[in-house]
Amino acid sequence: MNVVITPAMIAQVVISGLLSGTLYAMVALGLALIFGVMRVINIAHGPMLMLGAYVTFFLYSAFGVNPYLTLPASMAVLFVLGMLLERTLVFRVVDAPELSSLLLTFGISIALVNLAQLAFTSDLRAVEFLTGSFVIGPVAVSKPRIVAFAFAAIITAAAFLFLRNTKLGKAIRATSQSRDVAMVCGINVGRIHLITFGFAAALAAAGGTLIAVIVAIQPEMGQIWTFKSFLVIVLGGAGNYPGALVGGMLLGLIEQLASLFLTTQLSEAVAYVLLVLVLLIRPTGILGGRST
Amino acid sequence: MSPARLFQGGLVVVAAALAVYPFFGTGYGVRALLQLFMWIALAGSWNLISGLTGYVSFGHVAFFGAGAYTAAILITNAGWSWPLACAAAGVAACGLALLIGYPCLRLKGPYFAIAMLGLNEVLRALVSYFEGLTGGGSGLSLPTLQASVPIYYVMGLCAAAVTALTYVIITSRFGLRLMTIREDEVAAEAMGIDTARHKLYAFLLSAVGPGIVGGLAARDQGYIEPISVFPLATTITMIVMVLFGGKGTVWGPVLGAVILFVSQEVVWARFPYVHQLLFGAIIVAVVLLMPRGVLGILQIKYRLPRTV
Repeated sequence: MNVVITPAMIAQVVISGLLSGTLYAMVALGLALIFGVMRVINIAHGPMLMLGAYVTFFLYSAFGVNPYLTLPASMAVLFVLGMLLERTLVFRVVDAPELSSLLLTFGISIALVNLAQLAFTSDLRAVEFLTGSFVIGPVAVSKPRIVAFAFAAIITAAAFLFLRNTKLGKAIRATSQSRDVAMVCGINVGRIHLITFGFAAALAAAGGTLIAVIVAIQPEMGQIWTFKSFLVIVLGGAGNYPGALVGGMLLGLIEQLASLFLTTQLSEAVAYVLLVLVLLIRPTGILGGRST
Repeated sequence: MSPARLFQGGLVVVAAALAVYPFFGTGYGVRALLQLFMWIALAGSWNLISGLTGYVSFGHVAFFGAGAYTAAILITNAGWSWPLACAAAGVAACGLALLIGYPCLRLKGPYFAIAMLGLNEVLRALVSYFEGLTGGGSGLSLPTLQASVPIYYVMGLCAAAVTALTYVIITSRFGLRLMTIREDEVAAEAMGIDTARHKLYAFLLSAVGPGIVGGLAARDQGYIEPISVFPLATTITMIVMVLFGGKGTVWGPVLGAVILFVSQEVVWARFPYVHQLLFGAIIVAVVLLMPRGVLGILQIKYRLPRTV
């Protein structure tokens, strides 16, 4: 295979990589929060993103709402749904062996996808809102991706500020550092679990809304996001929230780089090979250890 | 006669009945039983890694698909006979398991589960990419051969072998070590168990069955394509069968496979659209309400031995 790399191509890779990387970071932050606070890997994280995308699609197609203005709505809907799932099902497996929580969220995940197929059919849906690209010199970036990046960056920054500065954010971080000590300090850990789950679902929903304008919407679009979000966490180091940022950027860059050399089909496999390699060489992630 | 003798006698009768069935059974009956054998072998194999060690494999169908493609390619391109090709399929699945299991099973936690979640998609992408060998998206047709009855016997042997293997493992020190890992991995390590190696062995054993069965299924159907041999639904069905029957037991996967297969044929075939929803609900319900499955409940109620 002969590929001539020009500086313009590098610029394109870097820019596209960072744009999609921000989106990865935002969605993965949700998964990382649930894992950090509850020690549960939520297999249903991707399907929640799918539901967020459908909220946007229906608000857009039924009422003509600007898809970006549906962000609060999709986040709110999934925040509530996330809390409902936590309160009815997930809280029961927080202290159970890993097998239970993985299987439970897996069961929720396939049920959600099937429900979406029943309710929304498997037809591909699209939100055709923004089209075309910005061209700056040799680099072209599609407009929805820029807007998605901007929103994702704002939401991710807001989430970090919330975690760092507010009392609730501190309580969430404290719970993920040590549940027992948090409890002793008077934090209602059950409530923190509830809020974290809702918050994480809202982050996934934001991702769903933003990519609804970019890719086709269908009930099975979510599962790959569970996998990619997990990969982002592994790249950044599990339990390390800023690591999600680093991991997201890395995944975005590597995927874009791979798409230069490989066909679309093969670049799907890149993320996977990456996961196995990281687990083989540096299982603690690029940033290493556990710290919040 | 003691209950154990009665059970063994019953087993012999069932095995004998199944062995002579093709001589006077209908074509449909043979096909249905062949499918049932396949599910028993698949569910039993998933039980070997996930039921015994507690490490959840969300992508076990990957071994089925890898086996199907290995056998199909060897039969069509290299002209191998199907029994040999299916044996090679088992070896290939085992090799794939080594490739994935070695990096992922050294670690504790959900790494392995997620790695298996992605494996399926990757294999599907690879199969579509290497069109020259695999036929890509348009699939691969095997030379016609009427071999339903021999495949019936081999598939039955596979189901029996996986169940027997489970029995041997559960009653061995190796099995005890695996279950120790499941209950408390740190304690297992403290007792001197090489946990990574034990998990890997269990995983390799759990991949062989799906590989061979995948090869047999490919030969039986005569045509394979990426979506037909890598469906997530197959993994889900395996998991549901084991959980429902009773994970970590010898007869749980068999019981689960029989109950779910029969109800699938009789009832759910009429409601294909809610299939996954139902399976999702069963998984959630079993995890929350009866983590030991049907057999687990029977074990407690009738004080059955652990080796059932």
